[in-house]
Amino acid sequence: MNAAVEVENLVKVYKGGVRAVDGISFSIKEREIFGFLGPNGAGKSTTIKCVIGLLRPTSGTIRVLGADVRRDPGVVKRSIGYAAQETAVDDRLTGWENLYLQGRFYHLSRAEIRRRGEEVLKLFGLWERRNDTADTYSGGMLKRLDIACALIHRPKILFLDEPTLGLDVQTRKTIWEYIEALRAEHEMTIFLTTHYMEEADVLSDRVAIIDRGRIVALDRPGALKAAIGGDLITVRFSSGDGLEPVLAALRDLPGVREVKLAPDGIYRIVVERDGDRLIPRIVRLAGEHGIGIHSIRLKRPTLDDVYLHYTGREIREAEGSREEHIRTRVMSWRIRR
Amino acid sequence: MTFLSDIWYVAWRELVKFFRSKVRVTVTLIQPLLWLGLMGNVLQGFAKAPYVQWMLGTKSYLAFMTPGIILMTVLFGGVFSGISIIWDRRIGYLEKMMAAPISRGAIPLGKMLAAAIQGGIQVLIIVLIATALGVRFAAGPAGVLLIILIAMVFSTILSGFSLAMAVRIKTQETLMALVNFLTMPLMFTSNALFPRAAMPSWLSAIARVNPVTHAVAPIRELTLHGWNWGAMYIGIAVIVGLALGMALFAQWMFHRATVE
Repeated sequence: MNAAVEVENLVKVYKGGVRAVDGISFSIKEREIFGFLGPNGAGKSTTIKCVIGLLRPTSGTIRVLGADVRRDPGVVKRSIGYAAQETAVDDRLTGWENLYLQGRFYHLSRAEIRRRGEEVLKLFGLWERRNDTADTYSGGMLKRLDIACALIHRPKILFLDEPTLGLDVQTRKTIWEYIEALRAEHEMTIFLTTHYMEEADVLSDRVAIIDRGRIVALDRPGALKAAIGGDLITVRFSSGDGLEPVLAALRDLPGVREVKLAPDGIYRIVVERDGDRLIPRIVRLAGEHGIGIHSIRLKRPTLDDVYLHYTGREIREAEGSREEHIRTRVMSWRIRR
Repeated sequence: MTFLSDIWYVAWRELVKFFRSKVRVTVTLIQPLLWLGLMGNVLQGFAKAPYVQWMLGTKSYLAFMTPGIILMTVLFGGVFSGISIIWDRRIGYLEKMMAAPISRGAIPLGKMLAAAIQGGIQVLIIVLIATALGVRFAAGPAGVLLIILIAMVFSTILSGFSLAMAVRIKTQETLMALVNFLTMPLMFTSNALFPRAAMPSWLSAIARVNPVTHAVAPIRELTLHGWNWGAMYIGIAVIVGLALGMALFAQWMFHRATVE
């Protein structure tokens, strides 16, 4: 299978010495949704901007569909669509005019714009509102219009930088549905950055966790979660008496790493994987020993846990620290120029 | 061809927004009426004195002042061009345009074209109002056309400068302050509103090299006296030269600032 995007040893140092991207390598397969997960200031936007030719890398090579971004920026630009973090919609123009203008910037003919524009506006549920100026749109509609604009020239790869930043939960889920529909119906390769765990988890085929300009982990979300440790089963028995034989039997079950009693009277069973399949066996074991179970729960590791594991911090902590704050400010200032 | 198309669609966006804004269109119509109707008529009293008429080169202060109002209007219009770049950068639209395969140079040139077209429309309105108030343009309809053209070229000098500055300046407030700091002195050290003969010698010397004065010369010639190339060609050459220079400067600044 061909690589849609290949990045090797990408380094970007801004004037003033901030190393925004510090030797990143990855490749995105065709028809893959590839997620870049990290806090603000981790280097996500900088990486995207280098890949699509908006920023000049300090060093490293970038190939998009086989073309070198530095050598053939025109070829690359025509084959990709880009929706930036800031929703770049001109709100004094109508939805249609925004789209029309974008089509003209990609040198499409009037007929092509009309045909393709109708298609994307209908796909994103904006067709009825196309003749209203964009200042009457909601935040979610603006974002959808922005993504629709990025699709007017039928790009092969779509770059979405924080597509749901600042949107409410409901709107965020709607955007996810549109993104998934794009991949399913149009076989599009999508590169998205996010600092929402759930977004990376739900949407991406593979996730790269990026921290301080470096990729610290890269795999399928499921594999990332499995790699850092097993599922956790919590059991509360009906009574605390006569448990020893049951606990001993539990410890002997295949895949069980540890059984321990927490101060709240609940037993925690750490298993390597497939905790859901162990639950019936635990219930049966207890029954065989005549012990009743009050409640039983399965907790799987989340991407939050993965992030914590690889970076040693929670994503919110990472954004809160003074060092990161300064780093973020310097970078957003640089990026905007 | 795609370069010209890029320029046109950058301009198209500005023009659609201009005509959509009822306030901007209304102000465009009313402003020249205020200047000509109010100021022109008040100062007309001075022009009764033969000495003043000698200094003005005409009996009508309104006719003397009309070229000045034309240039003042396009000057103020063009000079705020840069604000749109600052705004575009803020909302991310500038980046969106640069992610598209359009020529980067088309962005400042398109905005200059939009300012010139808006200016041309304003000048036409001023000419119509002045005619209604009794000004007779000596060079006739073709002369009026050339007046509009000169004013449009003049507007690109200011819009080019403003766009070039906007590349470096990050806030609208700073750009407005800079632009206001420059435009008023530029206007009042020229002979747009007052004849050089009435100026003290030091001011007259400044006025002589002021680009506004150079733009006034051919327009005033066409308004008051008619087709007299001898009195016009230097002014036209200076304005065209400055406009080309400013267009190149704006493009250069733009390239320099956007490739990082």
